[in-house]
Amino acid sequence: MDMRTVRHALRDMLLPAGILAVSFLLSLAIQSWLHTQTLIPAIFVLAVFLISLATQGYLPGIFSSLVSVLAVNYAFTFPYFKFNFTIPENLVSAVIMLIVTILASMLTTKMRRQEKAKAESEKEKMRANLLRAVSHDLRTPLTTIYGSSSAMIDHYDRLSKEQQLKLLREMREDSEWLIRMVENLLSVTRINEDDIAVIKTPVALEELIDAVLVKFRKTYPHQEIRVEIPDEFVVIPMDAILIEQVIINLLENAVQHARGMSELSVRVYLKGRKAFFEVADDGCGISSDQMENLFSGYQEQKKRPADSGKHNMGIGLSVCATIVKAHGGRISAENRRSGGALFRFSLETEEAEHGE
Amino acid sequence: MGSNKYKILVVEDESNIRSFMRTILETSGYQVLTSGSCTQGRLVFSSHCPDLIILDLGLPDMDGLEFIRSARETSEVPIIVLSARTSERDKVEALDMGANDYITKPFGTDELLARVRATLRNSRHGMGSTLPGGKFLSGDMEIDYDKRRVYIGGNEIRLTQTEYNIVTFLSEHSGKVLTYSTIIHAIWGDADTGSVKKLQVNMANIRKKFGSKPGQCQYILNELGVGYRMQEENERGDET
Repeated sequence: MDMRTVRHALRDMLLPAGILAVSFLLSLAIQSWLHTQTLIPAIFVLAVFLISLATQGYLPGIFSSLVSVLAVNYAFTFPYFKFNFTIPENLVSAVIMLIVTILASMLTTKMRRQEKAKAESEKEKMRANLLRAVSHDLRTPLTTIYGSSSAMIDHYDRLSKEQQLKLLREMREDSEWLIRMVENLLSVTRINEDDIAVIKTPVALEELIDAVLVKFRKTYPHQEIRVEIPDEFVVIPMDAILIEQVIINLLENAVQHARGMSELSVRVYLKGRKAFFEVADDGCGISSDQMENLFSGYQEQKKRPADSGKHNMGIGLSVCATIVKAHGGRISAENRRSGGALFRFSLETEEAEHGE
Repeated sequence: MGSNKYKILVVEDESNIRSFMRTILETSGYQVLTSGSCTQGRLVFSSHCPDLIILDLGLPDMDGLEFIRSARETSEVPIIVLSARTSERDKVEALDMGANDYITKPFGTDELLARVRATLRNSRHGMGSTLPGGKFLSGDMEIDYDKRRVYIGGNEIRLTQTEYNIVTFLSEHSGKVLTYSTIIHAIWGDADTGSVKKLQVNMANIRKKFGSKPGQCQYILNELGVGYRMQEENERGDET
């Protein structure tokens, strides 16, 4: 982060200096060859305009415009190579130029702000979409929990032990599902909280996979997972809790949607400076119209009947995409030739390590 | 649990959570005191001297960490912290400040009781489940402190000096999560960032020598982003 601000500040100083120097030399050349000064203020206005376009904030632009006014006054208006603010003509042209350049830098700054606001509203829209999809998905388990508990309270004496136990089990099952859903949402807010990318710390791959498997087994104790990871000791910079969430979502997605699945596997391999994570199943695969908006969190809502409960494929996968993107990685899905679906995402294995 | 019931103080602002924790703990034979704020919790703590405190970190009136610090000034009472999943930093901070363990919200009955049992046992023994002859047992793993040897299923596991130090350090606090920085400090004495990797490498070697595979680490549990925990004998099977 610090390096980046330093680099920005340096750029905001060097770039104006460079552009002004070029304009100055160009103006000198024009003056000595074409013997005209009418072009010169235009050249400097253009220079300042370019500077305000390429730098951040008002300062570089306004500073450059002041330098330009001085440069034009000094070198390109009579008396040449001498400052003279007493000739009204020079003074007026200086003021005009100052106004033009200040306006230009204000305009570009404003433009940039608007762009940023637009990106912000885009993000806001995405968040709203997700929220809508989620509230929809929250309603089903909440209905179960509310209904079952009301039934328990209202008919406490009339329900048999077995009936009560059944209702309670369903309540627990649906709360567990709610918990996972909320964890997903928390992951997303954790990314959006500040505009900073995720905070990465070096994580031992083996420990990540261990945590994933232990956690996954708590929910799906009977689902076997085949694991294939490099033998050597691998450390990958990441937000471990978020990447854990990604892998669990992908596994859970397979369990819930890969009909006819008999084998589920997690594979991690290194290639160049990247680690590739693959979650593969041998189930029914992904249909082509599902493939279209797989990671957008959209489709499920439109396509499924209103009462089909827990198929939060859209949300789980869009959370995966958000997390992987925030890590600077890529996620993709494909159908395997041998049948079934394969999800793959990549993370950088080396990076300038940030301190805690 | 014996005739003399353990007294547990639950400091939690949500009354529903308080109520179900009270139910769970009371049906398991503990005496439960509750308070809905840190201020009240402090009063109850100083007047009733509980054997264990379960503390929610997100209380409205005071930072839970502040509570831990002030409690630690006068007492070594075991403290279990309740925290949200996504805040490992809070957990690490609480543990480093003297909390004994944490439970991630939301949690089930099994997990709560297992943590309570382990923490109480730990604080009573001080040194995990050390046997009289200077030995530590966890499943089929045995540490012989006198001979400085570790066995699994009767076979000796050859560990380096550092690896042995880590394993014994974890065993001395078995059942408790030790944060990365706690372990690093105990083993190497300094806490620069390079040591985390040193620790990770050593842990990887220990796991390899112990024959632990991802998802089946039996003796040393890995708490992602927080630290490691040596599993206690009695803990097995408590958690699914």
